[in-house]
Amino acid sequence: MRLAPFWLVILMLPPLVALAVLPPFGQRMVILAGIYGLIGLGYQLVFGQLGALNLAQGALFGLGAYAAALTAPVIGQFALPVAILAAAIPAALVAGPLLRLQSHYFALATLALASLVNLLAVHAENLTGGANGLAGFATALPRGPVLLAIVWTCLIAGVLVYAWLFEGMLGKKAQLLREAPLLAATLGIDGASWRFVAFVAGGALAGLAGACSAALSGVVSPEATGFSIMVLCLTLVVLGGARHPMGAVIGAALAVGLPELLRDLQGAWLLAYAVATLAVVLWAPEGLAGLLDRLRGARRAPPVAPGLPESVLPVPGAQHLTIDGVSKRFGGVQALANVSLLVDRGEIVGLIGPNGSGKTTLLNVINGLDRADEGAITLDDRRIEHLPAHAVARAGIGRSFQALVLAGDTKAADLARAVATGAAFLLLDEPAAGIGDAERRALEAFLAKLRESGRGVLIVDHDIELLSRTCDRLVCLDRGRVIASGSPAEVRADPRVRASFLGLDGTAA
Amino acid sequence: MAYALVALGFVLALNAAGAVNFAHGDLVVLGGAVAAFVGLSTGLPAVLLLPLVAVAIGVVGIVAARIAILPLAARPPEATFVATIALAAIIEQSLTIAMAGAPRTAPALLGGGSLYVAGFVLGRQPLAIVVLGAVLVAAVWFLLERTQTGRRMRAVAADRYMARAVGIPVGRYVVLSLALSGALAGIAGFLLGHQFLVTPTQGAGHMLKAYIAVALGGWGSVPGALLGALGIGVFETFVAAGFGDVWASAALYIAVLAVLALRPQGLFGEPVGRRA
Amino acid sequence: MSALLEIGEVSVEAGEIVALLGGNGAGKTTLLETVLGFHSGRVVLFGSDASTLTVEQRVQSGVGYVPEGRRVFAGLTVRENLEASSSLPTGQRRQRVDEMLALFPMLGERPNARAWLLSGGQQQMLALARALMDRPRLLLLDEPTLGLAPVVVADLLRRLGAMTGDGTAILLAEQRAALALGVAGRGVVLSRGRVVRRGSAAELAADPALADLMAGA
Repeated sequence: MRLAPFWLVILMLPPLVALAVLPPFGQRMVILAGIYGLIGLGYQLVFGQLGALNLAQGALFGLGAYAAALTAPVIGQFALPVAILAAAIPAALVAGPLLRLQSHYFALATLALASLVNLLAVHAENLTGGANGLAGFATALPRGPVLLAIVWTCLIAGVLVYAWLFEGMLGKKAQLLREAPLLAATLGIDGASWRFVAFVAGGALAGLAGACSAALSGVVSPEATGFSIMVLCLTLVVLGGARHPMGAVIGAALAVGLPELLRDLQGAWLLAYAVATLAVVLWAPEGLAGLLDRLRGARRAPPVAPGLPESVLPVPGAQHLTIDGVSKRFGGVQALANVSLLVDRGEIVGLIGPNGSGKTTLLNVINGLDRADEGAITLDDRRIEHLPAHAVARAGIGRSFQALVLAGDTKAADLARAVATGAAFLLLDEPAAGIGDAERRALEAFLAKLRESGRGVLIVDHDIELLSRTCDRLVCLDRGRVIASGSPAEVRADPRVRASFLGLDGTAA
Repeated sequence: MAYALVALGFVLALNAAGAVNFAHGDLVVLGGAVAAFVGLSTGLPAVLLLPLVAVAIGVVGIVAARIAILPLAARPPEATFVATIALAAIIEQSLTIAMAGAPRTAPALLGGGSLYVAGFVLGRQPLAIVVLGAVLVAAVWFLLERTQTGRRMRAVAADRYMARAVGIPVGRYVVLSLALSGALAGIAGFLLGHQFLVTPTQGAGHMLKAYIAVALGGWGSVPGALLGALGIGVFETFVAAGFGDVWASAALYIAVLAVLALRPQGLFGEPVGRRA
Repeated sequence: MSALLEIGEVSVEAGEIVALLGGNGAGKTTLLETVLGFHSGRVVLFGSDASTLTVEQRVQSGVGYVPEGRRVFAGLTVRENLEASSSLPTGQRRQRVDEMLALFPMLGERPNARAWLLSGGQQQMLALARALMDRPRLLLLDEPTLGLAPVVVADLLRRLGAMTGDGTAILLAEQRAALALGVAGRGVVLSRGRVVRRGSAAELAADPALADLMAGA
């Protein structure tokens, strides 16, 4: 159970109090809050956890509402599960092409979709009753206390599952996916699958919320698919806390409570709501739930970036990483030309070369972050050069990065993360850049441990002393070609290597 | 033509602030509302009203960016996304309350009625819109292409770091771009506000059209945005003539979705960040 | 002669070219950006403390910058790149543009071409011309020879050498030590953000340990 008792009480209280004490009017308000909570929770999956600028949640809500209204007269209560499908299936259908889009285009596409659904609702009069909508179906659907029980049971279950899922490892992975998608891929996280599941699950919740909303009000009109429900969903999630498990519930409570409090100021509650949302974005980005947590003193300890692990376990996996004849062009530039090298388990190979020699490109190609034009990359006898990054990661190749992309990250944490994936082979991109002397010694000791535990390491760096002390072999690249390979002493003494570092052109490139 | 102004303002703000301003459509509506209100209460002729509205909304545009966009530049894109949507809602709600439910009309530019030109009956207002719009677009084009100010605005939009490194006072030009963006939105609102009633909820629709124009025309490209807007106008007129307004809108949305599905990098292929 | 630039242990006098050497990650770009004002740090420009001035103010006081990767304004033409980079009044500015186009024939041939169409060498010349528009007294270059054909490199270095005649000071950051030392009078080697060697160009070029230093030892 990952939800603090404080929040558990707040979560359970409304339905219990409503059922026990409140008159029907009060119960209706609590049901409405539950409905907003459901659509918000669904939104938290795509928007909160994965950071996608989704504007279609309102449309999915509307689909659920209309589906319930249309099918209830025929199948009664089973209209609810049907409504869930009525939202989830279209979500699944569009998710594929939609989720490939970059953020701005994704937002636009979801906006266009939502507008289409709205148009359909208004103008397909035979089906949807046009601008007047549908009515008279509510008698076939659950009402009153039964509806309250259904809504809040689903919501409570949803919040608990959300908390259980995202307060742990999964939440960290989602954060990685959100903030550094390339890094996440090299850790084996399949972003596309995640986004798909989140989008469909979020849509399903929206559909359920829509159906319950139809049951509550007894009327479904195009308003249900309009922009206003979308804005409400977004604002309530942000106000409450986009990633906090109770974010949707808190936001929903406000959305229902404020109009009552501000009843004298007609319509001003929406204005107050929007202003509050803006204020939260500017000054309390973790939302009101997060703020409450802070005030309670239940501050989540800021994750301490771990240092290098004490010990490194041996891992199973392939024994040989072979790069054979790899070439790559970028526009007019030959970044890699017929590069071949070999890394065995239990050895550390250093890759050196001046700026622009292709070292990072080579690592990217091995990782699957980029594709070679020619050549093969194999793990034992399995060819991996065509695999996407997360599949390469799962096949047993880990990666640390030259530049840190996560806030509050350290080089050591980045390295530890790569090692923790249990990858047989590790590609380290400038792990010694910008670190002090003590950390440098720790790094050298750690590299030795990696060797002892039988990992294979390919390390790119500019600190030639460090590489000389830790590597079994050095390979020197110059303008995309391997110009020397051998023991550190040999390579350092090689006149071609020395010339390369002084920038002397042997022959024109 | 009014949509061209909206799209133009949208893309200028996009380039200046580096973020999509979801409140841009509401700035347009605000322009119409201000025009209607000031026009009706003071009886100012349109010729004076127009610059007034332009300046007013230009200022609002700067303030809006200062509140909801620029302070959030260092945060992930969701932050500006939400902030500008909240801003849009604020403007819309404020207008709803201020207008107390009664849609208003902005004053006409050249007076109502029609003109007889070469045997065709042309409405005066549509004509005025087209002429004024063309003049403004040409003026903005002239500014951007032929003046030092415009050149510097484009340099800032192209590479902010380098613009500073050649001595361009970037802050000043960002503010200028935003002011211009707001002014164009306000004028567009004024023009549209006569043809169509000013209702607070129109903002989202205006914003969507501008967004589509910019996305189809090449993200951040000024000529692209204009072409996109004109393209949308032509497309919609075409479809509407054959199938009615509703299908015109629907066809547009379907077309956008089709384009994005087939070319996830947009029509003019801005290099897309890699999705793992 | 007082220095036109002092930052840390690095100084550049009028009319001289100082080579700023070091491998990748040694701190060359950071140092140049600190001079410009993108990072905080004590900098003395033209005899007075510039630490509180903004980037724009420092550039306008007489600093020209040719960044790594050239960073020309892609959508602007050659002519527009030059004009936008100048704070001179219109008449002088136009005249200066014409001067630059004459001085750099490969730019003069195609003044109205969009910058993104130019080759690497042409872009490098444009970046240099752009930096020279307002006659800077101090010129900062970050790895200008990267990715250029030998013939273009030779032309570039020759021009730099010719500039010192009128007192312009040049700080030339380079990984290709031999090239920089061929045109500089003095050199400074950075490693991990600190100066680890300094001397005349001749001394450094003859130093057998230079290759190691450049490799990051």
